[in-house]
Amino acid sequence: MQYANIERHKALFSEYTELRVQENRSVAVGILNGDIVRNARNAQGGMSARVFKNGLWGFASTPESDDEAIRQAIRLATDNARFLGSKAGQPTGALPARPGIGQNSLATTKPRLEQKAYIDFLRDVDAYAAAKYPYLKARTLMLSGLDMEKTVLTADGGDAWSLIARSLVYASFTMEENGEPVDLYEVIGGPGQFEDIFDQPSALYPKIDLLADRLRQKAKGVYAKPGEHEVVLDSDLAGILAHEAIGHTVEADLVLGGSVAADYMNQAVASPLVTMVDFANTAYGKLCPVPLWIDDEGTAAKDAVLIKDGVLKSYMHNKESARHFSADPTGNARAYGFYDEPLIRMRNTAILPGSSKLADMIASVDKGYYFLTSSNGQADSTSEFMFGVVMGYEINNGKLGAAVRDCTISGIAFNMLKTVTMVSDDMSWTGAGMCGKKQSIPVGMGGPAIKCRINVGGRA
Amino acid sequence: MSAQKFDGMAIVRKAVAALRAAGADQATASFGCGVQNEMNIDAGKLSLYRSTVNVSLSLTALTETRKGSVSLNKYDDQSIEAAAAEAVSMARSSQPDPANDISPARPLESFEDGQLEPDSDKMYERLQEFIAYCQERYPITHLEQCVLDFSRGESFFANSNGAEFEQRGGLYNFSAMFTSKDGGNASSFNYSGAVQKNLDQPLKDWGSIDLLMRQSTEQTVTQPVQGNFSGDLLIAPDCLGDFLGMLDGVYTSDYPIITGTSPWAAKLGQAVTSPQLTVRSLPNSPELAANSPYTGDGFRTEDCLLIEKGVLRNFSIGLYAANKSGRPRCPSGGGGLMVDPGELGWQDMVKSIERGLLLMRFSGGSPSDSGDFSGVAKNSYLIEQGKIVRPIGETMIAGNLAKLFSDVKAISRERVNYGSAILPWLQAGPADISGK
Repeated sequence: MQYANIERHKALFSEYTELRVQENRSVAVGILNGDIVRNARNAQGGMSARVFKNGLWGFASTPESDDEAIRQAIRLATDNARFLGSKAGQPTGALPARPGIGQNSLATTKPRLEQKAYIDFLRDVDAYAAAKYPYLKARTLMLSGLDMEKTVLTADGGDAWSLIARSLVYASFTMEENGEPVDLYEVIGGPGQFEDIFDQPSALYPKIDLLADRLRQKAKGVYAKPGEHEVVLDSDLAGILAHEAIGHTVEADLVLGGSVAADYMNQAVASPLVTMVDFANTAYGKLCPVPLWIDDEGTAAKDAVLIKDGVLKSYMHNKESARHFSADPTGNARAYGFYDEPLIRMRNTAILPGSSKLADMIASVDKGYYFLTSSNGQADSTSEFMFGVVMGYEINNGKLGAAVRDCTISGIAFNMLKTVTMVSDDMSWTGAGMCGKKQSIPVGMGGPAIKCRINVGGRA
Repeated sequence: MSAQKFDGMAIVRKAVAALRAAGADQATASFGCGVQNEMNIDAGKLSLYRSTVNVSLSLTALTETRKGSVSLNKYDDQSIEAAAAEAVSMARSSQPDPANDISPARPLESFEDGQLEPDSDKMYERLQEFIAYCQERYPITHLEQCVLDFSRGESFFANSNGAEFEQRGGLYNFSAMFTSKDGGNASSFNYSGAVQKNLDQPLKDWGSIDLLMRQSTEQTVTQPVQGNFSGDLLIAPDCLGDFLGMLDGVYTSDYPIITGTSPWAAKLGQAVTSPQLTVRSLPNSPELAANSPYTGDGFRTEDCLLIEKGVLRNFSIGLYAANKSGRPRCPSGGGGLMVDPGELGWQDMVKSIERGLLLMRFSGGSPSDSGDFSGVAKNSYLIEQGKIVRPIGETMIAGNLAKLFSDVKAISRERVNYGSAILPWLQAGPADISGK
């Protein structure tokens, strides 16, 4: 429910202050081998105040959001800023501002469904998988929905309300091969509430069939050979590459913390074929997986072009880092819960499409791998990254060969991106990711397929 | 905004009554309130003082073994009654499952430990002392982010069988993430942290922070290992915690035991690892700052063995998984991990390794259901002919978790106390090691 007349609290601000009233609502249904193992709803609401004084921040939050609670929280946040400021503060100028004013909602206009409808939807998909693939040792289906509703008021004029929703169905299958379990997963869904994202459960059957087919191939698969190889990374992996390997190194707070990207501004860090953008809300005329119009510092969000034709062009900023680097705030300050302070977070990070065809890219590899699906990933301030790969194929003489079992790929991103020789002319997004950087928060990742050289951790 | 006004037992009893009144055959309620005071260092400077209060009320209804759960952070009568009605409605929408059950009756037990209020001035002093120490001792090391917080938590549990618990406590938690830069060369970031009941010790001495920071200064220039080889891993305590977590996830936790995909599902009482390995779960240990006197599903925790000299003694499963699989519930709830020490000093263990790695951090993909793992050896060192030779980069390791823990060769006598776990160095292998 939208918090009304937040601007009346502005009279309580005595320093630069941000006020946020927020509620996160989630729904979860889980089915394991036909049994409903999760059937839950959660709502966490409250408010927070953040105050900037002499270069230092004070923050306070409370689960209550009546006028008295708001007054106390603003006072406590101010006291906290003054406490630190009295000991370690230095006078600073004003934070840069590009205030956003507006309302944005991904709420459905359809009637909301009861929990039973979610359960029945998932049970239908599970029954389809159970009947068609009886050899599966384990079937896990999870439905999750998250609505984040925020009302933000800032001393410099930001005034925003938003309801950003995400709905996902996660399917994971396990079968046995020679007495050993082999597993694979798929995530379906995107931005919006369940009623707008999912219709009939039968629409998911082709995805279930593809998952089961790939699992069967993987069960017969081989272990990847360790060492550096020529590979084609499909869009899922290009997306996580954009997020983990490059994105984190160019978050301005991590640049200040020692990221190697601090030394690379306006230098070539990638092949000229590579351009990378952190989109705020819209790319190529379509809504991104995690759209953001106004961030939690009240800044109107704009796209951040990070790498342009292989050259590092900018970082992602909040107000404080923008002031440090004499740049514009990009609207990347986001908080997960009402009790969290905004941090510099990616929104929808993607490598942009090129001009090659995927089939030609695979055909051009003499001996290597085509990797499709990642599990998790982690990157470093040095830009060294690691992704788990759960689905891929050998490439032999330009043709796809055997599927490969789980492996890990790694490299130094700013070296590896210079080995990119082909970029496909299409791209796809995933909005299923959760990025953990003090707080866990939904992120979008996207990209085309790219051909490059990469380290593979496999079996000798 | 004070947590002291909560009468948590009254709230959970009220919630259980509301669930029963709404039609639940069995009901469970838990309530927690937490007050957190946190100071942050970002990019080497104090940046934020954060005070948060939150509450969480969870209600679970069982109707004819069908289950529904609602959680919220309100606790007024109207919210409790509405949440109870919703939980019962959700349960009725679900499917029967005889494995759904609640813990048996147990008279109210109360637990209290730690401090009630933070010492903000001391927190500030310890952080400033830490910053000064780092600047003097490790001038090329950047403190990317450090967080010192004091969290006072109160938690309450009740169910319709009459099991009741309440716990109050306050703990300090410190985590530090850092990287070193020397000219144009940078180390990988590393991090560690620990939980303590007070601020008596300088923060550098918490967990393994000082060792990892010293190592960080050595790691600004690294090289991959040459080629591929099989070698031993000397796994450092921070990293061992990650490996034990992966081991639990693949072999002994709810999912692989319910589905039967765990290769150890039928091996209770049998040897599953090297006889050198003993892993205990001691959630009530006085050696640990953070204790867990009761489990989330409402049982008083009992300290237990998970692996005793290589023999699997307990899975880490809860009540539902135990009912579903027919295996025994873990009496400890699985927390408070302690690995028994060995006899050698960890630096002496290095001497027995012909060629291998000192593995300080592992950045890997999620292990497969079969226990296969692979990933990057971060902040780690090459060992050759019994000596630590140099820091490495771009080096990957791969293996199988069960095989690795079957091939334990030595465990150190030194252990690191993180407040929530006590872990040694562990030598195992061979594993596949690959560079360029």
